[in-house]
Amino acid sequence: MQREELQRIKEEALKELETLKDPIQLENFRVKFLGKKGKITQALRGLKELSLEERRELGSELNQLKEYLEFEIEKKRREILLSEEEKILDLDLTLPGRRPFLGGLHPLTQVIEEVCEVFTRLGFEIVTGPEIESEYYNFTALNIPEWHPARDMQATFYLQNGALLRTHTSPIQIRTMLERKPPLRIIAPGKVYRCDADVRHSPMFHQIEGLMVDGEVSFADLKGVLAYFAREIFGEKTKLRFRPSYFPFTEPSLEMDIGCVMCEGKGCRVCGQTGWIEILGAGMVHPEVFKAVNYDITQWQGFAFGLGIERITMLKYGIDDIRLFFDNHLYFLESFK
Amino acid sequence: MRVPLSWLSEFVELKATPEEIAEILTLSGHEVEEIFDPYERLGEIITVKVLEVSAPEELRESCLCKVSDGKEVFTVLTTAKDQITVGQVLAFAKPGSLTFNHLRIDYKTVKGYRSEGCLLSPFEAGISPEKNRLLILDERVEVGRSLYEVLGIKEPVLEIAITPNRGDLLSIYGIARELHLITGWELKPLLIEEKKEAHFTFPGKIVIEDEERCYRYAGRLIKGVKVEESPFFILKRLFLCGQRPINNIVDITNYVLLELGQPLHAFDWHKIRGGEILVRRAKKGERLLFLDGREVELHPEDLVIADRERPLVLAGILGGEESAVEEHTGDVFLESAWFNSKSIRLSTQRHRITTESSYRFERKIDPEGVLLALKRATQLIGEHLCFQAISEIVDVYPKPYEAPSIYISLKQIRKLLGFEVALEKVENILQRLGEVRTKGEIYEVKPPSFRQDLTLPEDIVEEIARLYGYEQIPMTFPKAELFSSKPRPDLLFSKKIKEIFRSFGFFEVITYSFINPESLSKLNLNPQDRRLKAIALDNPISSALSIMRTTLLPGLLETARFNLHREVDNLRIFEVGKIFYPAEGLAEERETLGFLLMGRKGEALWDGKEAKHDLFDLKGILEELALILRVPLKFKPFSKEPFLKTGLSFDIYLEDQKIGFAGAMKKIIVEEFELKEPLWIAELDLDALLVCYLKTQTTLTPRKPPKFPSTFRDISCILDKFIYYETIRDFLFQLQIPYLERVEIVALYEGEPIPQGKKSISLRFWYRAEDRTLKDEEVEKIHEEVAKRLFEHFRAKPR
Ligand SMILES: [Zn+2]
Repeated sequence: MQREELQRIKEEALKELETLKDPIQLENFRVKFLGKKGKITQALRGLKELSLEERRELGSELNQLKEYLEFEIEKKRREILLSEEEKILDLDLTLPGRRPFLGGLHPLTQVIEEVCEVFTRLGFEIVTGPEIESEYYNFTALNIPEWHPARDMQATFYLQNGALLRTHTSPIQIRTMLERKPPLRIIAPGKVYRCDADVRHSPMFHQIEGLMVDGEVSFADLKGVLAYFAREIFGEKTKLRFRPSYFPFTEPSLEMDIGCVMCEGKGCRVCGQTGWIEILGAGMVHPEVFKAVNYDITQWQGFAFGLGIERITMLKYGIDDIRLFFDNHLYFLESFK
Repeated sequence: MRVPLSWLSEFVELKATPEEIAEILTLSGHEVEEIFDPYERLGEIITVKVLEVSAPEELRESCLCKVSDGKEVFTVLTTAKDQITVGQVLAFAKPGSLTFNHLRIDYKTVKGYRSEGCLLSPFEAGISPEKNRLLILDERVEVGRSLYEVLGIKEPVLEIAITPNRGDLLSIYGIARELHLITGWELKPLLIEEKKEAHFTFPGKIVIEDEERCYRYAGRLIKGVKVEESPFFILKRLFLCGQRPINNIVDITNYVLLELGQPLHAFDWHKIRGGEILVRRAKKGERLLFLDGREVELHPEDLVIADRERPLVLAGILGGEESAVEEHTGDVFLESAWFNSKSIRLSTQRHRITTESSYRFERKIDPEGVLLALKRATQLIGEHLCFQAISEIVDVYPKPYEAPSIYISLKQIRKLLGFEVALEKVENILQRLGEVRTKGEIYEVKPPSFRQDLTLPEDIVEEIARLYGYEQIPMTFPKAELFSSKPRPDLLFSKKIKEIFRSFGFFEVITYSFINPESLSKLNLNPQDRRLKAIALDNPISSALSIMRTTLLPGLLETARFNLHREVDNLRIFEVGKIFYPAEGLAEERETLGFLLMGRKGEALWDGKEAKHDLFDLKGILEELALILRVPLKFKPFSKEPFLKTGLSFDIYLEDQKIGFAGAMKKIIVEEFELKEPLWIAELDLDALLVCYLKTQTTLTPRKPPKFPSTFRDISCILDKFIYYETIRDFLFQLQIPYLERVEIVALYEGEPIPQGKKSISLRFWYRAEDRTLKDEEVEKIHEEVAKRLFEHFRAKPR
């Protein structure tokens, strides 16, 4: 082993190193120089024959070369591997992907959730009640006795067992008040039923009832809470209007309109050219209702409101046929995913 | 309620446009649903030019014209032969349109000549009383245009939704009075003076036998009336209000009802036997034949107007055929009364009749308006009808109406409204409402007799708010104690179930709670099955929605059918909702989960890797559900549900209680629902599941990453094919194998070269110690023992 030979190996290795382009060449190169029978390995073995002085000198130089080549090989390997995968393959990336396909909740469920969430933020508690009800809870306790013409406002389904399908979620008010003492803040979603069927009426639909009973809660508070609700659901800029109305179980009573979402108040078919759309009925709890649940009317006052979920959903999404909700066609359901 | 503005303006000075009036009323709680013009609703009544007139002999009095609307030519017959000349512009009603007195124009053929409409007289067009001539327009008038547009006739009518508490607004005058209250526009007073000496003494007798049901009964006799068609102005107003004319007497009662809100009834005096008018309750078995031809059996709670022999009228609701005023009636008895609203309501409900009259009595009429209406009718008869003499008014009014006193303080008003409404404002409004007296801090308000809706302090507060303007009342947020209650676990649970199914790729559906009994019968249920004993609706919308569901299956299957018929072959849907069983009290309502899988799973992708749903998709969903909920659901093959394929089904158990089922629908049922196989379906009782769920929620034990490695050993064996995997697993479990973490089934195979009746199964056993790395020899020893026991027990052979 001569110094010249070392020099030659070194030059050869460095020169060859430059030309390496793929992992196979790189591996051949490694074997050629650093493998068991590689040139540098052989040269290191050949050192034994030299004097101690030479051995030390050439040995250290060879080891340096070996380390240098190992380092360069590793560096080169990374470079090659990285650049190799920067090529464009013959795979069409514009093909559609394999989706994990999540399902979806019914739009009415979603809107119920959304409305309930607005009110739970204000400390209202969600409660429910039976869908098959008695005359008493559905009507009488709500100040709608048998002979009251207000019964015409709600075409009722009667059952052969003498009960009825609740026509509104208001009986939940009565049930809750009978169970508990004020103060009270509840919100009660659920299915309700009326003997009515066309593009705008479904024999089954959903309502949300709200009730707040406290010492001082007032008509102005009712307006404030409803306005908060409407703006949370329909947006900050929603125009609102409050009109007097009549419900046997509230006094004073009101209806709230929002500026028509379709025509922005200019007047269209949806709003009957008025620019306004009614979205809920409400009022201060009628003293007769408090009497029916044995609340002291000198101590407590409160408000109640009820709104139709289908109506709100239809307005929110511009749906013109209520039957779509109960046909449950996949295309319709998927659009609310 | 239809309110023609032309009529309204007779009573109140209208200082705004129809649209503004509508807005004022709407914002005061009387929603104006639309403003329309009844003339525009008559149909196509247009101007036409006469092109040609001919008079074929066989038509005699009539002639045949050709008229043009500028585009089309119509042939029309008319009897006004002598008035017609070519070039005239006339009013032409096309077939399908109506004359203002409710006659329908149709195609007709006379002696082989076809008439494509009708040429109108001014009367038929509703323009003037003239009947005997054609309506001839200026020849320069454009043809083909709406007649009313050309003539500039505008009759805006408000359609107002009157809430049931405001019976006082069911009249033109009532609306005028309300507008006056809201706006202050001048209201013309209604005063009708009668000279006493002008009237003869009433020859009959009026007796109220039931003073609880009839508070006031007044009447008078009009002799020698000529019953015929009403004068034009009455016909026109009835037309504007959508009322059909009958004859002058009946029309006048309807006119007064519309104008003042007080129902009147006219009797043929000679049909009232003995001239005795008795207001009494019906007797058992009495029957009454109504004007509309219906006969009813009266109920002892019904109030009737009777003579000494028989009932003549169902009081306040509908008159009898026999005593009705008709062409030959000469003497008329006019009734104006005040009946108990409750009793009228119960009678109308009992007999399912609603009339303009009962509608008003139910909503309370003005007790002090009874005589005014009678006088108004008399005035109209006096001015417009032929008659001989009018009797005095007999007024039986045992207990005159007394308005309630309502006591309210400013403090009360402010507390309920929630803002400091000004004292002057309140007092001003109270003055406008009725009689007010002040007693210290308390106001005593006596509302007028027509405002019977005002009885409580809260009613007065509403009036104050209404007249103050709802819009003017501030918006505040309630001041209340901060409290919050825990969300109800059952609601959270249903929500969780829905979220789980959503994450499984299911779409939630909501179907009707009432179903078709036929769908239920398609399920092949045993006649004793509880699900067949559904609660039926008394008054369903249709038989397809006539019983309360006892299972979610019909809804899911019908939904699948709806989808399949509309291009959706692959479906994963679920529903969470109530099912209903008859029970003591109201009903038993159970929250239930149902789901359905149909067709392919996932989306079809271009890689061709697609598969149909199979039993293990169904089972896997339920297993994952059980895992997430941490409830020990058991799936026991095979279900006894008669609609499921026994070999592809299981019942779902929670401990010893069956809470549901899952499996493939039988082919014949799938076909009856017009669906495609395979169809997988399941139902679970969520109420039962919830009870268990709430108990297990504390059992969560978090797992940590392993500290020491595991090792596995496989056993492949051939054994009898009818040995269930679960049996093998249970056997292994009871062996209590040390260090065994879990067992997996990694392969299952039947067929060549495995002998018939056998199967090959490969199990993988995972071993791990908590505190060290297990040595190979150790595992080997345990595993050999396991294999030995397994082979022995199941007489298995190694593969
Ligand atoms: Zn609009």
